[in-house]
Amino acid sequence: MNLRPHHFLLWAAFIALMFAMPQFVGNGTLRTMIFACYLAIFAISWDILSGRTGYISFGHPFLVGIGAYTTAILTRRYGFPVEASIPLAVLFTMIGGLIVLLPALRIKGSYFALVTLAVMELMYQLVPVVRPDLTGGTRGISRLPALTRGAENGYYLAAGLMLAIALFAWLLMRTRLGTALWAIGMNEESVRGSGLSTTRLKSFAFLVSAAIAGLGGAFYAHYLGTITPRAFFDINVLFQIIVAVLIGGAGTILGPIIGAFFMVFMLEWLRPFLPGQERFFVYGLIALLLYMYQPKGIMAIIDSGWAKLRGART
Amino acid sequence: MTFKYGIATTVAATLMATTAMAEIKVGFIGSLSSDTGLSTLRGAEMAIDELNAAGGVMGEQITLVSADTGEDVTEGVKAYEYLAESEEVDFIISGSIDDVSLGWLPRMQEFQIPTLDTWTSYIGIIDMVVEDPDLMAPYFMNIASDEALATLYINFGADVLKAKMGWESVVILAEDTAFGEAITGLVTDALGPVAGIEVKEIINYDIGTVDFAPIFSKAQASGADFIYQVSSVNSQVISSQYVKLQVPMAMTGVNVSALGLEYWEDTGGAGGGISTLSPIPSVGFELDPVSAQFVTDYQARYDSRPKMPHFNGFNAYHGLKQAMAAAAEAGGFGDVKAWNAAMLKQDLKLEKDGKLWLRYGFWQHGEVEEVTQRTYPQNALFDLTAPYEDAQPSMVVIQWKEDGSVGVVYPFEYANTEFEVPSWVK
Amino acid sequence: MMQIIIQGLLLSGLYALIAMGFMLIFSIGRTLNLAYGAYIMVGGYIYFWLSQQIGMPKVVGFLGAVVVGAIMGLLKHRLIVKPLKGDPVAVEISTLILAVIMQSAVVLLFGDASKILLPIIPGVVTISGAQVTYNILAATVMSWVIILALYAFIRGTHTGRAMQAVSMDQKGAAISGVDPDRINMITWAISGGLGAAGGVFFASYTQLSPTMWVAPVIISVAIVIVGGIGSIIGTLIVAHIIGFLEIIVVAVWAPELRGVFTMLLIIGVLIMRPQGLFGREEH
Repeated sequence: MNLRPHHFLLWAAFIALMFAMPQFVGNGTLRTMIFACYLAIFAISWDILSGRTGYISFGHPFLVGIGAYTTAILTRRYGFPVEASIPLAVLFTMIGGLIVLLPALRIKGSYFALVTLAVMELMYQLVPVVRPDLTGGTRGISRLPALTRGAENGYYLAAGLMLAIALFAWLLMRTRLGTALWAIGMNEESVRGSGLSTTRLKSFAFLVSAAIAGLGGAFYAHYLGTITPRAFFDINVLFQIIVAVLIGGAGTILGPIIGAFFMVFMLEWLRPFLPGQERFFVYGLIALLLYMYQPKGIMAIIDSGWAKLRGART
Repeated sequence: MTFKYGIATTVAATLMATTAMAEIKVGFIGSLSSDTGLSTLRGAEMAIDELNAAGGVMGEQITLVSADTGEDVTEGVKAYEYLAESEEVDFIISGSIDDVSLGWLPRMQEFQIPTLDTWTSYIGIIDMVVEDPDLMAPYFMNIASDEALATLYINFGADVLKAKMGWESVVILAEDTAFGEAITGLVTDALGPVAGIEVKEIINYDIGTVDFAPIFSKAQASGADFIYQVSSVNSQVISSQYVKLQVPMAMTGVNVSALGLEYWEDTGGAGGGISTLSPIPSVGFELDPVSAQFVTDYQARYDSRPKMPHFNGFNAYHGLKQAMAAAAEAGGFGDVKAWNAAMLKQDLKLEKDGKLWLRYGFWQHGEVEEVTQRTYPQNALFDLTAPYEDAQPSMVVIQWKEDGSVGVVYPFEYANTEFEVPSWVK
Repeated sequence: MMQIIIQGLLLSGLYALIAMGFMLIFSIGRTLNLAYGAYIMVGGYIYFWLSQQIGMPKVVGFLGAVVVGAIMGLLKHRLIVKPLKGDPVAVEISTLILAVIMQSAVVLLFGDASKILLPIIPGVVTISGAQVTYNILAATVMSWVIILALYAFIRGTHTGRAMQAVSMDQKGAAISGVDPDRINMITWAISGGLGAAGGVFFASYTQLSPTMWVAPVIISVAIVIVGGIGSIIGTLIVAHIIGFLEIIVVAVWAPELRGVFTMLLIIGVLIMRPQGLFGREEH
């Protein structure tokens, strides 16, 4: 592992900044940050699977939804305490991750994206039909037990979870395993040629990604308090996750976080000026223009800006 | 320079914050691009302007901020949080649809902001009020719950479909949603015993269905006398295909898209021959003078869709005034318990030609309805038994005719036209 | 039985028409054009606006829809696909964003209440116990005409053969003197026009609504994936498999499971036979 002291200093500064946030901003902003933190968790999860290995998943809401629904059903229908239901939700989501993994063993590229899209759509159609007594059908499940109350506590929980996951992902990506995942995204054949088992590497990436999605999904469900199929297995959710990663910068740790905060805050900041549907129109337009300007995301824009600044100095 | 500017803005912000203290802030939550959402928003706007013109409430002027949900559940949660924590509103009026309301309910329970729902009719929310009255104290729903709507609809089956039309059996076409499930369950349980109509078959269909021809074939093959249809999502697809295919069977039921006057325009006139139950006051409903004046003022003020407010527009208009009156009595919205008690006492009786026509009041805790034998605390008052002397019925049945006119056919006390089947049905 | 055959044929014809334009783009660029649904939606709304709101003749409405769809296809190729140099992932993502933008634009222009198109040809006829509207009959006939014309175009004209060459091997086609850029542009335009035409018929079956773009994309994805790349015949056959599957599930079994089997079919076929039932092996 290539770890340097300044890495830890930067992380410490980042964590300190995030935890000091409630001193500087109001509750309204904290609420927005909570949503941004959860979106960032889903984005990091997507990035581990798709940003690194190049297997573009269009079915990520499927994994997040399994996490959310598992903990919701266990706590509300079977009276499990959250201490048990959340780990089980992570476990179930990892099983869901294996389902997504199956097609990835044989197909790639756009085909893989399509299959995952079909999996998500299948889930959306099945949830209201199969055992509506458990899933609550289209009205979903209400009155999930809350983990905390109030904007500040909710923020500490969400931010803490996000930071822990980001730090874990960062450390993971600095191991040889992370490098190998990256190599799969670059050229799968040559990784196989070098004697590594790509199947095992891929399984690992899918499981880690699913575990994070499930963990995030479960905490998110308890934060929301009510879950419905439309709030999870939906193309708009997919849109937010993928766009957060790509706007921020795929294949980085900070990128998905920046992207998630940018997307969530842009929508909130537009609210006072464009109260109605215009807001979503402008939001989409800005995302498209930014993406067309730099498909590598805000991270690349910052990097090139930084490089120019340094070039100008010397 | 920047520093000075900073001080200036801080001073300005403080000043604004102080002036903001002397006003009552109302938040609207709902879709700003749907007829439903706009009905509630505009009803609230008009009530607020009238109250302000009359000197405000407790000497304070009322302001309105709106938060769009786009009918998306997650956006609904964000909208509620925005109203509660960024705008710090005193009272929220909602034109949200079912799952959006369910989405923000945990936030309402947390913030304890007095909230009035004008569109959602889900009985499950009233059940929450029954179970936990303290937590749900800020919540009022001034539309009759769906369970009460369905209960009265059974009487329509007995009094009109069976007694007048002579129909003995039914095939039910229900969309595969929670709404469809709830209504279908009630109707199938009661149609036989109460109305004496045999249920031949229940066909649940997927809301994404493109082609209803095989479903109508199936319905015809069941040999029933008529189709009873329940749809809230994409309802226009099934009703317009019914008309286009000229299915030779009468069809009645619940069709949420047919509840506004724009139905005719949106279907290009292909919606005739459809009847549906509707909350009150529906399209084609004769209005008392007070509500009629509201519509006249509404139409003078707004010239875009919806041309005529939906039922929830009336609910918002009357309901907002009641919420303010309750606040005046309870000394503001801050003490939720006191406001809740004052709100429960609100009772607006609107008469037409000397008869009680519309009543805006609420069921009390523990008050049992005689037909359903259950309680509906904090839900709009309704009456399920003719001649509807305690309040208006929970619903009316409206009939869209093939010439584009629309009227009420049931209950008879409120009817102004006749139930009819389309011309192609014998 | 006869009812199922008639209803199956009618629905399959519509599905084939919807999937054609999607298939063209997928075979040329290996690109999932998620904004394809936007052509369908825009086609439907343009027709509604011209023929039902301003009262122009239906033919004008239909042609207007096709022209606008083709222009959208062209613009998308110029403004998005070319600048991204055809990188499939980037194009997919940007088309997804575009589709969401189009959805907001439709809400802004037409509101979010769903609307019903008047039948393109009014009237109804009973064929062996099944009611069939002239509208749906016309949609099926039109869709066959369009599919046959497309087949003739691809097989019989120079441009069509060039399109086929590009879809098989972009570089090889370029060496043999085909300008892939021009062919790509033509394909995007045709795809847009086809999508819009399909949209008019799809909307006349169902309804116009700002979220109507999702369902046809899913149907097209299913048909093209199961059929395989670049095969008009394959697309046609699979459109019938999926159309009949749907009608049979609805008529004989459980109507609420309408879409479930289609999804299972996609997942199953893709895992068993990634190149699709009628597709070429990809390398």
